[in-house]
Amino acid sequence: MNATEIKAAIRTWILDRHPNYDAGKLTDETPLIEERLLTSIQVMDLVLFLEDLTGQAVDVTRLQKGAFSTLEAIRQAFFLGASA
Amino acid sequence: MTATLEIPDLGWREGGQGVLRGDLLRLFRKLDTLWLRWADAAGALEIEPPPMLPAHALQRLDYFASFPHLATFACVHDEDAENLAVFGKHPWQADGSGLALGRLAPTTHVLTPAACYHVYLDLVGQDLAAPITVTLGTRCFRREKEFHPLRRQWAFHMREIVCVGTAEEVRAHLASHRTKMLELSERLELGATFEHATDPFFNPGKSARYLMQKIDPTKEELVFGGDLAIGSLNFHRDTMGAAFEIRRGGETAQTGCVAFGMERWLFALVQTHGLPGAIAAVDRELDGGDA
Repeated sequence: MNATEIKAAIRTWILDRHPNYDAGKLTDETPLIEERLLTSIQVMDLVLFLEDLTGQAVDVTRLQKGAFSTLEAIRQAFFLGASA
Repeated sequence: MTATLEIPDLGWREGGQGVLRGDLLRLFRKLDTLWLRWADAAGALEIEPPPMLPAHALQRLDYFASFPHLATFACVHDEDAENLAVFGKHPWQADGSGLALGRLAPTTHVLTPAACYHVYLDLVGQDLAAPITVTLGTRCFRREKEFHPLRRQWAFHMREIVCVGTAEEVRAHLASHRTKMLELSERLELGATFEHATDPFFNPGKSARYLMQKIDPTKEELVFGGDLAIGSLNFHRDTMGAAFEIRRGGETAQTGCVAFGMERWLFALVQTHGLPGAIAAVDRELDGGDA
C-alpha cells in the first residue's frame, strides 16, 4: 500500500463509524480527536485495524503524543516507510 | 529527595494513614482556605459530599476495568444470623493477617477514589444553560503497593475545583488555574513544574483510556522535587459528560478539574521551609489576598 491508499483505508474506517459526519470535511489534517471522530472507545479498535494493515503489533506504551491527531499523523506514526 | 523527612505534628498509622495534629493541621486548614478563595474567585459552588460513591456511578466510567487495583470497597456482611455469629466468634484469619470476613452482602458502595466524580454524579441527566464550577475537598482512598507519610497515603485529602461546560469554558478554567498554580509555586519557592502525565491504569497496554492519555495528553501534573505530583489539571473532554449524560447547551458537556493533593502540599511546604516557615509563607499568601 502506498501512503494515499493507507490514508484512504483509515479514512473509510473512521467515516464508517461516523455516518452523519460530512465526508467532504475530513481532510488529511482534520483534528480527529478535537472533532470527536476518534474517541477513547474507538481508539483501541483503530489500533487493531492498524495492526492488520501493517502486519505488526503496536506497543501502545511507546506511542507518542499526537500519533492519532490527524490522518497524516497516523500515516507518519505507523507507515513511515510507505511511499507517498 | 528523601521520603523520610521528619514531619512535626504528623502521626503515622499502619496501612498508610496519617494523623495531622497541631501546627501541621493548622497549615492544612490555611492551605485549604487559600484554595477556597481561588474557588470563590472562580464562582464555584462549594459542596460537601459523602465519603462513599455508589458503585454504579464508577461503573459508568468503566472505573473497575481501569483501576481495579486502587479501589477500596465498603463491604458489609450478609445479615443472616448464623453468618454474623460465625464471624463474631472467629473474626480473625488464623495467621492474624487480617479479618476473616464471612459471607458478604452485595457491595454497592466504594470509598471515594477521586473527588470530582461526586460532581458529575450530581449532574446526571442535566442540560446546563451555563457552565458550572464546583469545589469540594474530600478524603480519597487509593490502595497502593506502598505508602509514605504525606507523599502516598491510602487515605488522603483532595481539593478540587471542577468546571462543567463547553470545551472553551473548560479550557479557560484550566488555563487560568495553571497560571495561578505556577505563580503560587514560585512565590512559595517550591520550584514545581508542570509535566504531562497519565493516570495509573491497570494493565495500561490494554487500556483505551491510557492510550488516549498518551496520544492526546490532557492531564498535567504540577511536580515538586522531580517526582511528587502536588496538583493536577485534567481535561476530560466529553468522557465524563458522556458517562454521566450531562449536556451543556444541548451538546455533551465537557469537563475539567483542578486538583490539589493536600498532604503532598504539606510535604512540599515543610520540606522547603520547615513547619513554622511554611505557616508563615501561607499566611503571607492569605494576607496578600492574591486569590
